[in-house]
Amino acid sequence: MGVRSSSSPYSPSSKEMYQKSNSSSSTLVGSFIKTLRTGSSKQQQQQNPGAQDGNIEAMRKSQTYLRRSTSHGHAVSGIHISPLRSSSTGKCSGKEKHHHGKSDKYFTDLDEDWSAVIEDYNSPIPVISNGGMELKPPVKVSSKAEGSQSPSSSTNYPTLPNLTRALSADLKSQYEKENERNVQELNSLMHRIAKFDAILNPSNSPQINLNDLRKLSWNGIPAIHRPQVWKLLIGYLPANTKRQHSLLQRKRLEYRDGVQLVFSKEHTRDIPTWHQIEIDIPRTNPQIPLYQFPLVQESLQRILYLWAIRHPASGYVQGINDLVTPFFQTFLTEYLPAAQKEDVCRLNPREYLTEAQLQDVEADSFWCLTKLLEQITDNYIHGQPGILKQVKNLGQLVKRIDSDLYDHFSHENVEFIQFAFRWMNCLLMREFQMDMVIRMWDTYLSETSLETSSSKADNVSISSSSNSTSHSTPLDSPRKVQSSTGLRANSAGSTLSRQTSLSEFHVFVCAAFLVKWSEKLISMDFQGIITFLQNPPTKAWKEADIELLLSEAFIWQSLYKDASSHWR
Amino acid sequence: MNTSVTSIKLVLLGEAAVGKSSIVLRFVSNDFSENKEPTIGAAFLTQRVNMGDHTIKFEIWDTAGQERFASLAPMYYRNAQAALVVYDITKPQSFIKARHWVKELHEQASKGIVIALVGNKLDLIEGGAERKVAREEAEKLATEEGLLFFETSAKTGDNVNEVFLGIGQKIPLKKPDEQSQGSSGLRINDDNRVDLAAGGPGSSNAGACNC
Repeated sequence: MGVRSSSSPYSPSSKEMYQKSNSSSSTLVGSFIKTLRTGSSKQQQQQNPGAQDGNIEAMRKSQTYLRRSTSHGHAVSGIHISPLRSSSTGKCSGKEKHHHGKSDKYFTDLDEDWSAVIEDYNSPIPVISNGGMELKPPVKVSSKAEGSQSPSSSTNYPTLPNLTRALSADLKSQYEKENERNVQELNSLMHRIAKFDAILNPSNSPQINLNDLRKLSWNGIPAIHRPQVWKLLIGYLPANTKRQHSLLQRKRLEYRDGVQLVFSKEHTRDIPTWHQIEIDIPRTNPQIPLYQFPLVQESLQRILYLWAIRHPASGYVQGINDLVTPFFQTFLTEYLPAAQKEDVCRLNPREYLTEAQLQDVEADSFWCLTKLLEQITDNYIHGQPGILKQVKNLGQLVKRIDSDLYDHFSHENVEFIQFAFRWMNCLLMREFQMDMVIRMWDTYLSETSLETSSSKADNVSISSSSNSTSHSTPLDSPRKVQSSTGLRANSAGSTLSRQTSLSEFHVFVCAAFLVKWSEKLISMDFQGIITFLQNPPTKAWKEADIELLLSEAFIWQSLYKDASSHWR
Repeated sequence: MNTSVTSIKLVLLGEAAVGKSSIVLRFVSNDFSENKEPTIGAAFLTQRVNMGDHTIKFEIWDTAGQERFASLAPMYYRNAQAALVVYDITKPQSFIKARHWVKELHEQASKGIVIALVGNKLDLIEGGAERKVAREEAEKLATEEGLLFFETSAKTGDNVNEVFLGIGQKIPLKKPDEQSQGSSGLRINDDNRVDLAAGGPGSSNAGACNC
């Protein structure tokens, strides 16, 4: 399947929505991806709206959507993208300040009641029409100008004398449009928050439906729900709401006791481990003020040391210090008022947390890090076989989806391990700004297939794959469900879904990330390639970009998940 | 511009946080940052140095220092013509690790590899910290093992360029294809590629200066 093609402009809308139909799938999806990839986000922001209302009608008529998955016998022929407002993430991009909330964040609703939101929408819905692959961009909300900054749309301004009037008129209409859109975005966000509320506070049962939560969270979690939802997704917090409080109490106490023991006189300090963590702590997220506070550094040091001591097979490995920070930062936001959640990166926790609360944040971070690392243990044990395997899989995958790029790398003697080792070791955290990482983790944590007994009880799981499917608890088997297709029937009707491991999905994300730059890379030599990939231009990435990446990864995974079983 | 260009593949080895990446950053960008994120895997950078009518292009693999990543190191030093083995003069443990790296290089790397032993963080001593690795001790090791020896400060820039110049002087100026070629692993020193790079000054690492 080729990768480069000229194409019409498109919208970087986030989560794909497939229309189920009978025609053949893979070529269409492939060309969809091709089409998506050829645009750049900058271009996208300057596109004019062009979708017709007829498209909305068309969408309404399509009753069934194949969501997040294709499988044999279910083909994809049309892909509808609706620009619904996404979740919010904190402004945690180091020095960079995004025009948060006004930037182009689009969201695709994927649930049965999506049309309810569409009704509220006046703006055109971009539709990738069936077969024609014609992409209509949505109205993009350009970063809102602060003060009198000119609008970023590609208006051809008249000559100088008329400039002021034209500009002010243009600004006015722009401003009105933006206002309108902001209201819509806000409505959409409120609607999402309501959906999360409904799932998190089930009315007739104490049991939270984790599968529903996972599906909803894949597309991003509103900041106010994120701490709780992450804990649920990763299997720290039980789905039974009645048990949550007691479990938290118990686990937090357990952590406190663990820390006390490890730092008591009876315990002999593991000096090399302690030393390694000690030198890495000040080097963790050095560009984010939060991580410079001694209070925070001490917390992280305790978390990492205790984890290392309790996991001698792996021990502390550089990169794990990165992995704990999204948890820590997210759990801190639980104690910040909504208006200040975005400031978590620069506020000193001492100013808004009691000692006990900080201990709770620390304990929760420890347990969630533990849960996460259980899934990727092989990445950090001696020889790091998990990473080597992932790098190899990435190579094989790129060979299939972009053979030109693969051949070019071979010709230039570029080896995947030279750039992808870090991608695996740090889950791409070094490649993105923190707020984008956190958005990415909404999806990653939704990908963790922790089949708890409760979620199994709620759903009928039918393995439709010949691969082995394991439903053991994460504690028994940290690396399970490698490649399997689960057909899950839930109360809302038949929805296709799939279970995979986080590391497998991550390889597809890495592949999508790499082939995104294919056109550039193919014109570069060894030095250019390595230098580029060590420092990819992602600083200005917005949620829409991350969501597009995740969607592309999802599509690749849908197409190649069966092939992946042959890699092993 | 038309002077002949020799390409030198160089690898940095040494314990975590001794300043490997900082030495490279100083050499390549003449910059320093107090808390650099730990290197994961390895980082690749290049820098050109003019020596008389000759230009040397350093192709540098800056490896991760933590023990867990050590299994990757052979991939990077196998075809290297030069190595910097770095330690922190205030951390005796890091000097022990440096000895190990020198031994491993002599056993595993190309025969003619030029090794420089580099004691970093000289600025700490000047700032009043206690030196824990005596200069004489390091010099002795360097003499015994046939190493170049430098004490540097990546923070102040002290002696950093000298390390690379020293290596440049010690490596015979041959055409890249005559230089030692390993049998496997990275083949960074692709003749064609080097010539291509030599033709385009813009192709070198961003921020690099020709010093």
